[in-house]
Amino acid sequence: MSAAPILRVEALSKRFRGLLAISDVSFAVEPGSITSVIGPNGAGKSTLFNLVTGYLAPTNGTVSFKERPITGLATNRIAELGVARAFQIARPFRDLSVAENVRIGALFGKAGARDVAATTANALALAGMAHLATEPASVLTVGQLRHLEVARAIATRADLLLADEPCAGLNPTETAAMIDVLRRIRASGVTVVLVEHDMPSVMEVSDRVLVLDAGRLIADGAPAEVSKNPQVIAAYLGTPD
Amino acid sequence: MTQKPAAFVAVILGCAVVLALAPLVLPPFYVRVGQLMLYSAGLAVAWTILGGFAGYASFGHAAFIGVGAFAAGLAEERLAGLPPALLLPIGMLVGGLACAILSAVVAYPILRLRGTFFAIAMLGVCHVCAELNNNIDALQGSLGLNFPAVAPAAWDPAVFFYELYLAAGVVVFLIAWQIQRSRFGAGLLSIREDEDTARMLGVPTERYKRIAFVASAVLTGLLGVIYAHSLGYITTDSVYRDDTNLSLIVYSLLGGMGTLFGPVIGAFTLVFITQVVLARLLDFHLFATGLLLVLLVLAAPGGVLGFVKSWRQRRRAAATAPAE
Repeated sequence: MSAAPILRVEALSKRFRGLLAISDVSFAVEPGSITSVIGPNGAGKSTLFNLVTGYLAPTNGTVSFKERPITGLATNRIAELGVARAFQIARPFRDLSVAENVRIGALFGKAGARDVAATTANALALAGMAHLATEPASVLTVGQLRHLEVARAIATRADLLLADEPCAGLNPTETAAMIDVLRRIRASGVTVVLVEHDMPSVMEVSDRVLVLDAGRLIADGAPAEVSKNPQVIAAYLGTPD
Repeated sequence: MTQKPAAFVAVILGCAVVLALAPLVLPPFYVRVGQLMLYSAGLAVAWTILGGFAGYASFGHAAFIGVGAFAAGLAEERLAGLPPALLLPIGMLVGGLACAILSAVVAYPILRLRGTFFAIAMLGVCHVCAELNNNIDALQGSLGLNFPAVAPAAWDPAVFFYELYLAAGVVVFLIAWQIQRSRFGAGLLSIREDEDTARMLGVPTERYKRIAFVASAVLTGLLGVIYAHSLGYITTDSVYRDDTNLSLIVYSLLGGMGTLFGPVIGAFTLVFITQVVLARLLDFHLFATGLLLVLLVLAAPGGVLGFVKSWRQRRRAAATAPAE
């Protein structure tokens, strides 16, 4: 690994009473990459995102962003450092227009000097939302809402984007458009971590794939490698007999 | 917001000058009604900084009217030798400070509650303050508290307090306007829309809510201090009033929740209806307020401004629709 990792997760665990949702997970994410986290339903993917963004506190282990420990920091502090998240179920500010939604991201997010108007316009363009800028968020389709989530997250000028199933429920055309947006975001210098179910898009877009099953990390590597891993196949399809 | 700030301030100050001259031509009864309108509008705007902008609708803001009034009154009683012109500013300072401390302390536990739970908890705060004020002898809540006559001898006290309410109302309105158009205001708006998402985007939600709460409480308390002086003598019951708690919500609902002008429109309208239209049926006005609230929620949940907005949208949609 050449550069220092942008995100480092070490021995992370999260227990919900009897359920160990995340169990001793460690990995590091290289800057400028697209990393996908995959796994069957209930594998702990969304919990992992909740732990990284400070929405939940881990039972054990640490999360570091740019080599700085962020475990236990408030969600808004982690956002100020440069971590953004796009929700799986879009949570737009429904009373506001698309541009106003994105502007909130540009006004807050990563600390430091900012040009709110330019950042907003940039994020809208990057997510392919510029033509919808004045529409109320309440009239958008599911696909457009996902793009709005991504635009608002990018407007925070984050260095790391956590995108929770951005392609779930989208048709193939919409999925292709979203993949395109994620590529452009990476090209603009943002590291992307995806949770995704749609295997073809994962294989196509990811530099690296992490596989979670029942809270444990069972595989970590290039897409082609991981897809041949017998443990991964077993986790998804079950073992014979 | 596309309006130019300087032009906006000029229009507001222009309106204020017209209102300031109104007592010259108004009969005394209407000067009294005007007092109540301006006082209510000031309270409504102070309330909306938290309730409208951040979506934390308080059902107990009369707590700050009471605490502000009693803190000021008790301080002024001990400084009775000073000239009246000094007593009012000192009273406002003490009353505002008392509200700042109370709201800052209460903010920590109470702002963790959302929606109805927050509203009810604030009602509890109001009642606890009222009970303490009433039952601790040193606070003179049941005995009552006299306020010095602060109106200059040359002024009719009714006109003096009318002008004082107007000045205070304009200040509160301009503060709220500055908040609304600032980054802080955008943060409050995002909290109202979806607090968890706001935090995820880096909005310091806890700090912003506390600041909005304290600002709203202090401005409410300052208006309470003026109100107590205009009454001249107060007991617990004359300042910790549940009809005030209710009215503050109704003003915003009536005019347009979350807007800047809505609370003003709502306060002016409701005071006019209850004091002038229903003047001979004063006991009837709580009933009228309640009835109005029910009708509003059913017919125009966005208030007057929401109704106007949706009407204009419908007209625009009709105008741009292709002709068959």
